[in-house]
Amino acid sequence: MYIALVRWLQETDLFSCIRGSAYTYPVILSLHMAALALFGGMILVTNVRLLGLGMRSYSISDVLDGLRIPKRFGFIFVATCGTLLFGSKAEQYSMNPWFRIKITLLALIVIHQLIFRGSVYNNAAELDRAPQIPGRAKLAAGLSLLLWTCMACAGRGIGYIN
Amino acid sequence: MLIENPLNDSSLAFPILECFHIAGFVCGVGTIALVNLRLLGVGLTQKSAAQLWRDTMPWTLGGLSLVIFSGLLLFSTDPDMYYLNYAFLLKIAFLLLAIGFYYTAVHRAVAAGKGRVVACVSLALWALVFFGGIFIGFV
Repeated sequence: MYIALVRWLQETDLFSCIRGSAYTYPVILSLHMAALALFGGMILVTNVRLLGLGMRSYSISDVLDGLRIPKRFGFIFVATCGTLLFGSKAEQYSMNPWFRIKITLLALIVIHQLIFRGSVYNNAAELDRAPQIPGRAKLAAGLSLLLWTCMACAGRGIGYIN
Repeated sequence: MLIENPLNDSSLAFPILECFHIAGFVCGVGTIALVNLRLLGVGLTQKSAAQLWRDTMPWTLGGLSLVIFSGLLLFSTDPDMYYLNYAFLLKIAFLLLAIGFYYTAVHRAVAAGKGRVVACVSLALWALVFFGGIFIGFV
């Protein structure tokens, strides 16, 4: 059932077209990487500020509010490129253990976001009023950095298994 | 004289180095991109571009150091292949241009507080570095 689905997916016109052209796949992969730098930089700066390790001239509100919308666009761009890459070789990817780890990490990132959204990421004003950065904000930032780093490494791992 | 590169002894060395390479470019190029976006009026606009340059500088320099050092080690695993690969040569050319442009033209634009064209050129140069890097494996 699942195999039938991924086979159907990769045979659709769009994904066959990506697979059939010698340069489309690397072009999308390049965009995936360039967008990763852009988006990853925003994740880094946000978490560095929450940990109190840098960006001290900016309040937590400055960083969270300033990057909220750009981060969304960044994520959509990276994820769209990633979906196009996946679809072109859907069957091969879905069998790849690193790809499965990567999708599991993505699910953990969604859970992380759901857990900390109210108390940290949408709560910047209160974090700025606190005399010290609260532990839960530092925990959220540390976990976010860890999860995204593992995500990038798992992505690199995909290429090493056929 | 033939010198053995210890990095070629383990099949894990290359992919692990690549992970450091990715972490390095995210820190280095990611923060450079944020400064360029600031010049375009996007993102961290609450303070001046000069302030953003100062606050991101340690991460930019740390990231660029990590990406270049890991890149040199990656290159050392198979230098003959790399220096005959035209995608690699283009990548290095764009990398030198992108770094040079950032510390001259972008730096001046940041000091002046404006420079949309400069920011676009800088972002485009960095994007070309990524294209060069990916295409090393496809030419």
